[in-house]
Amino acid sequence: MTEPTDPDLIALATPYALHAVPESELADIDRRVAAAPPDVAQAFDDEVRAVRETMAVVSAATAVEPPDHLRDRLLTEVRGDPVRVLGPRISGRSGGRWRGIALAAAAALVIGLGALGVGLALRPAPSTAEQVFAASDVRTVSAQIPAGGTATVVFSREKNAGVLVMNNVAPPRQGTVYQMWLIGDKGPQSAGTMGAVAPSTTAVLPALGSSKVLAFTVEPPGGSSQPTSAPFAQLSLA
Amino acid sequence: MTVFTPVTRLPLVTTDLAALLRQVARQDVDAFTSFYDQTRARVFGLVTRVLRDPGYSEETTQDVYLQVWRSADSYNPTAGSPLAWLLTLAHRRAVDRVRSEQAASARDSRYGAANVDLPSDHVADSVILRDERRQVADCLGSLTDAQREAIQLAYYDGLTYAQVSERLSANLATIKSRMRDAIRGLRKCLGIA
Repeated sequence: MTEPTDPDLIALATPYALHAVPESELADIDRRVAAAPPDVAQAFDDEVRAVRETMAVVSAATAVEPPDHLRDRLLTEVRGDPVRVLGPRISGRSGGRWRGIALAAAAALVIGLGALGVGLALRPAPSTAEQVFAASDVRTVSAQIPAGGTATVVFSREKNAGVLVMNNVAPPRQGTVYQMWLIGDKGPQSAGTMGAVAPSTTAVLPALGSSKVLAFTVEPPGGSSQPTSAPFAQLSLA
Repeated sequence: MTVFTPVTRLPLVTTDLAALLRQVARQDVDAFTSFYDQTRARVFGLVTRVLRDPGYSEETTQDVYLQVWRSADSYNPTAGSPLAWLLTLAHRRAVDRVRSEQAASARDSRYGAANVDLPSDHVADSVILRDERRQVADCLGSLTDAQREAIQLAYYDGLTYAQVSERLSANLATIKSRMRDAIRGLRKCLGIA
């Protein structure tokens, strides 16, 4: 890291990022950073960022499981939280266009369930996924996505849940999401959207119900209340 | 597949925190739940380490996650990782709480302790977190006592750098460079880019 031209200001970056600057000095520091030459401001921001990323990793050292009642309380509050309410968006776009984008979006394929193990290890609590894996009737179905990548579902009817693993599927084009649908007798039910797809992405499907197929479409951001394009991939859960 | 009926959205969970935050921004409760489960031990542990009071720590942790719920769309991936965003937010709230409690009544001398003591019981059970904890503990151990003390007082005890300087009878420039060197040491030891 090169030492820039305002050492006094830069020296404040670490205490600033550690929240060790008194409230009364914050506005002054912000003003100085805003008025500083770009390289100084950049050096300040880089230092703040480095401190925050470092302390995020250091948080492993102090990790303590919170009590379960905190989770219950929080989820109750969030479910009833009136602060932001976004409705599902319904779009009238033509299927052909979205299908074209979907096919263009997918890439190379290779399946690897290794990623699933990582995903599970990241979850500290006994999860839906773990229950599915422990189920006596666990099953796996896999399909290649026509333009590349693989989708695999590990599921259990007994647990009424499944785990989806997407491997090497290209992310949806900017301004679109992938949406998953569980399709049963009553037609498609949204199983959630995927705004970004890492090389390996896992998703929990917590309520399979009587669905027989898991289908994927491309939808506008936020997803749709019903599919607005033909599915670009389907997995049979029958 | 031509006849579709309107349906409610069902949840999706991924292990990518940034993707989860994008879903939380659209009020996906299940994405929020997963985000909470993947980060709760880090947040609660940090808040508890700063506040040292179970009641305050629970309240503050709850406030942190309510803020996540309401402002997930303010997370900017180009400005840092989701975990750094979350823990910065959590630490800010914990420190604010400590300072408001301090203003109300002088806190006892628990501040004197100058080591980062690791919780020995009730710890998070994730394997990854356990490994990381060991690595972080080793890296904290690799700092000089003076560096560790500066981080302890500022980050975990919520003192300002001026208060740290008074506490340690060292001048401000020295304290600031100790903090900076401590972070650089940790960063290098932990292999953070």
